[in-house]
Amino acid sequence: MTSVDGGGGRITAAVTDAVERVFGTVADVHAAAVRSLEPVARDGADGAPAGDAPELGTAVRRLLSSPGQLATGLGVILAPQAGTGRPGHDVPVRLHWWQLDPDNDRLLSLDPDLRPSSAGFYDYTAAPWFAVPRETGRRHVVGPYVDVHGSGQYLLTLTEPVVAEGRFLGVAGADVPVSRFEVRLLGGLGTLAQAFLLVNEEGRVVVSTSPRWLVGSLVPPAGGLGAGARVGGVPWRLHLLPA
Amino acid sequence: MRLLSGDARRAVFAPLDDGALRSEAVARRVGSAIALGLLGDGEQLPSEAELATQLNVSTVTLREALAELRKLGLVDTRRGRGGGSFVRSREDALAQLGATRLAGLGTTDLRELGDVHAAVAGAAARLAASRASAAEIARLRDVLTRLAGSDSVAAQRRADGRFYIEVAACAQSVRLTMTQMDVLVEFGQLPWPPAHAPELLDTVVASHGAVVDALEARDAARARDLTDQHVDARTRWLIDLRLQRLAAAPPAATTADRQEVES
Repeated sequence: MTSVDGGGGRITAAVTDAVERVFGTVADVHAAAVRSLEPVARDGADGAPAGDAPELGTAVRRLLSSPGQLATGLGVILAPQAGTGRPGHDVPVRLHWWQLDPDNDRLLSLDPDLRPSSAGFYDYTAAPWFAVPRETGRRHVVGPYVDVHGSGQYLLTLTEPVVAEGRFLGVAGADVPVSRFEVRLLGGLGTLAQAFLLVNEEGRVVVSTSPRWLVGSLVPPAGGLGAGARVGGVPWRLHLLPA
Repeated sequence: MRLLSGDARRAVFAPLDDGALRSEAVARRVGSAIALGLLGDGEQLPSEAELATQLNVSTVTLREALAELRKLGLVDTRRGRGGGSFVRSREDALAQLGATRLAGLGTTDLRELGDVHAAVAGAAARLAASRASAAEIARLRDVLTRLAGSDSVAAQRRADGRFYIEVAACAQSVRLTMTQMDVLVEFGQLPWPPAHAPELLDTVVASHGAVVDALEARDAARARDLTDQHVDARTRWLIDLRLQRLAAAPPAATTADRQEVES
């Protein structure tokens, strides 16, 4: 199954479109963050606490409630910065992240557990959605994964690096619940001649239209699926299943 | 608003439904969160009204629970501007809370808790064997390295809890992870067996390590069996501790005895 027919082309186009729309939102968040946090980033210290970025909060609120928005969480995470020569000015990791409460559409500021001693500690700088853009300088899509210490959802996280004057400051990103992505994608595709799988770079199933392959399961390397087809804009491959 | 996020912390402030003696249940839940490190030393608790709403208890009940925690030295309440209730992580108070809880449970209750723990952790391990990525397995090994190097009871307990949470996350299941967290919050209210028999820590580390080996070998049946066996062993440690303390304690006076003394 190395070639993709017309149906496959339609699927990859729909996936790329959905992903690009989310990255469009990420770019908006990025721009708002630069406007809102510029003084903090420039001075490298005396940063406002998480959630205390009014302009960014307003922009995120507008983006999260815009029609057709796939993301339920948006924001920026800024890397810890060494003090700029001034003692006591080391800046810890900072989070400006908001999520939509699915029950009542309220916007909540995320206050994760940033203490390394806790069983619930969320080590941001080690998370691939932070570490990969930092190391490659490029955008990245992570997931599906259980965001156990953050939003508590099964997510795709899309991030891009925030860089100023050649210095990596952090990432801007979006959380998209896997089920939301699936419902939107499949709803838009309509009837398909063949079942298909979207598989991420770890071999994990992102979307499946076959009950044989469950979302979140790993496709064994010798699973008989072949190489599949590349999907633009995401580190995923499309596999069409025999009818 | 300030939102306590993450499944771990959500489990702590989930509504209580265990009926009677609710202020004690609230106190135990908060104590467990401190023991697991979910609430850190010096951290401010949500306001009384907010906490009462989250836990679905009356403010009267909540105040009783806070009074109990203050008496134990686990919470410090400051009045006035900048005031509120702040967490004090104290090993002695946590041990006392654990001892009280253990004394209040029968061996059947401990067996029941162990059964649920085995069901959840065993299922998570079985699923993780086919669903955990290489990166996730590496993260489990990191947690075990931290567990083996922990120099305090608190740190051991946190790393151990973290291991179970990460395995459930490796299973790619939000619901299993949340259920696992609920079970851990219950176990956090009980004594940590290696605190009473330090050699048990090696057993815990080795048993978890064998589970990770099974996950890496993609051996689902073995991962589940090893998890079941280890949870069963831990249940028996707690039951043993319970029985030892029963044997060491003087026989409790019955109602009839007391009446005789009083009359």
